[in-house]
Amino acid sequence: MKDGFRQSMAWLHTWSGLLLGWLLFAVFLTGTVAYFRQEVTAWMQPELHGSVADAGTAERAVERMGRIAPDAAQWTIALPGERTPAVSVSWRPADAKPNDRAALKRATLDAGTGEVLEPRETAGGNFLYRFHFELYGMPRETARWIIGIATMAMLVAIVSGIITHRRIFKDFFTFRPEKSPLRSWMDGHVAAAVLALPFHLMITYSGLLLFMTMLMPWAVDLAYDGNRQTYFAESGFRRAAPAPRPAPQAAPLTPVAPLLAEAERQWADRGGVGTITVTNPGRANATIELRPAAADSIGRGGGGTERLLFDGVTGRTLEVPPTDPQPGAMATGNYLMGLHLARFAGPGMRWLFFVSGVAGTVMVGSGLILWVVKRRSQRSRADNRADGPEPFGHRLADRLNIGVVAGLPLAVAAFFWANRLLPAGLEERAGWEIGVFFLAWAAALLHAPLRPSRRGWAEQLWAGAALFALLPVLNAATAAGHLGNSLPAGNWLLAGFDLTALAAGLLLGFAARKVGRNAFSRKAASAPVLPAGAVAEELT
Amino acid sequence: MILSSLCIAYAGFLALALAMDRHHEQILARRPSARASRLLGWVGWAVLALSLPPAIVAWGWAIGLPAWLGLLTVAAAALALLLPYAPRAALRLGPAAVVCAPLLAFLA
Amino acid sequence: MTTLPSRMKAGLAGADGRRRLDVASRCLAGIGGGYALAAVAAMFLALALPLALAMPRAEAVYTATMLSFAIHAGAIVWAFSVRARRVWPGLLVPALLLGGGTWLLHGLQQGAPS
Repeated sequence: MKDGFRQSMAWLHTWSGLLLGWLLFAVFLTGTVAYFRQEVTAWMQPELHGSVADAGTAERAVERMGRIAPDAAQWTIALPGERTPAVSVSWRPADAKPNDRAALKRATLDAGTGEVLEPRETAGGNFLYRFHFELYGMPRETARWIIGIATMAMLVAIVSGIITHRRIFKDFFTFRPEKSPLRSWMDGHVAAAVLALPFHLMITYSGLLLFMTMLMPWAVDLAYDGNRQTYFAESGFRRAAPAPRPAPQAAPLTPVAPLLAEAERQWADRGGVGTITVTNPGRANATIELRPAAADSIGRGGGGTERLLFDGVTGRTLEVPPTDPQPGAMATGNYLMGLHLARFAGPGMRWLFFVSGVAGTVMVGSGLILWVVKRRSQRSRADNRADGPEPFGHRLADRLNIGVVAGLPLAVAAFFWANRLLPAGLEERAGWEIGVFFLAWAAALLHAPLRPSRRGWAEQLWAGAALFALLPVLNAATAAGHLGNSLPAGNWLLAGFDLTALAAGLLLGFAARKVGRNAFSRKAASAPVLPAGAVAEELT
Repeated sequence: MILSSLCIAYAGFLALALAMDRHHEQILARRPSARASRLLGWVGWAVLALSLPPAIVAWGWAIGLPAWLGLLTVAAAALALLLPYAPRAALRLGPAAVVCAPLLAFLA
Repeated sequence: MTTLPSRMKAGLAGADGRRRLDVASRCLAGIGGGYALAAVAAMFLALALPLALAMPRAEAVYTATMLSFAIHAGAIVWAFSVRARRVWPGLLVPALLLGGGTWLLHGLQQGAPS
């Protein structure tokens, strides 16, 4: 009876993981990169690499805004920091409706001079971030439903996987790369799953919560008779109150330096000032709001709730309207979603999330490969016909594995290459970058069935390894912010990208070499390493 | 503080691995006695628990707890990768981590 | 392609078609029936929590919706872990009970002056 139950769970684990596994792999991979989406975007805009912040950056930016958009209703100035080299500014024209994000105008300023920069148009890290929950080229809601369903499959796979693999602590450190492919893939899969299990549970459940009103609208619609706005207002997800209309009488803006000094003093351990919002600049009712660079809470929205508010004409400190405390349930949900989004995370924390995300990617990828490896080993044991034709389903899964597990990293690398090789002034440039990404991925998916399995794996892994490992070289050839400059200058924003690309290339190269040797060979798969009963017991 | 938490966690996982027959053999080429195994197990869990306070001191509960779990992932992954390729190094890193942990805490 | 667990095969020995039917039935029960159960449970909790624990309405809705995903996942896992004849009744009976409770609570609220 007990074994029957575990076998059912193993079956559920296998199929819930497999059917949406290729999509989940893409979600995990792009989502993991998205932890560094600002850094990725920064790398993809070499025009900004010369921008270096100094003590006068904020003041210069405010002064520049007074010339770019003197009549705007509001300026928002995001100062450079560890994750962005330049100043990003946006402003709302006086005639635009409040809360109309599409009406916002944007520009990028050099942190050192305040000059307006014209960076190349790029899809940036934002493309990978959006892709991981909205895919591309389909209606947003449809895509979100597909991702939501895949996320639920992931949750089911995690729960049934935990039940199947009950000896979680016993096999904690078991990784035996020298054993049969079946054993070592199994070890790798379990290790990646178990070592980061809290992360996997958090990221999956909070992924569902991020779509909760779309996926499960029934409670809201019943309790509020379909009036969701009331619900959002009562839950504290209220949008900020619209800014007051500009006063008719003009008044010069107070010097910002003393306000900034005050904020820097208060937020010494918070990375200083992060954003400056000036409402009704140049009018008698102007206000200046400052927020710290580092968040003070995990909750959604980032930046926390702490801020300083000043009268924009006199420079006097104004009282910040208190924010409503969050009820327990919302605080719990927001905490989980905040962890998922990781907007609060400093560099150390961000790397921990990244490593856990890599573990998740490895978990999904190794699970997909395990499905094929296990069936090969079963087949060769069952009828000694290891040379007979492989069933269509197994071949299909194997080729999809090649095109996704090896092909997607290759496509991501191609995306970065496109960023540097496409002419900077190209029309629809961001669209072309995305086009190259999908072309490379499609080529990988088409290449896979045309080659023998092992060859296909090795070729695509080598291609991905080369593309990633040569990214620092490409960077050196096309921009000034290469490792030779970024490392001596301690510019970890750029050096971090190059070094991570190099590491990804080495890892893929390592995998490619292993594939070339034995990992997928039928000979190795057919070698009897475990008694048949043990395999069935353990790996159903 | 963060690195010191990581070092303590590694030492804890190493003790836990040494408490298991398979890994004990992998590292020291002999099986542990039942008593040694039990003792190492207790020490391992206790040391793992000790790796939590530095993370909480550095980051507070809200961020420190998930950060600690992330550090555990990194420490255990390092050990799992070292065991098959360099078991002796995995063992030698243990005392080194124990020595480094308080030093790193003082430096921070 | 895959060896199905023995329990699912019980009584269906050799009948490949019926085995597939069993799997399809469990999938439908877990995914569709499980979603229905989760939705009804969320609606019931959204109305019952304010009465039982004096929770504010928005918080009750939020809590109920947050829990509903665990209920759905649990229902899917459950649909694959019990004997075939218990799958549908086991999901539908609680769904109907919760549905009845929701209908009663909703009726009470509509009747009461707010």
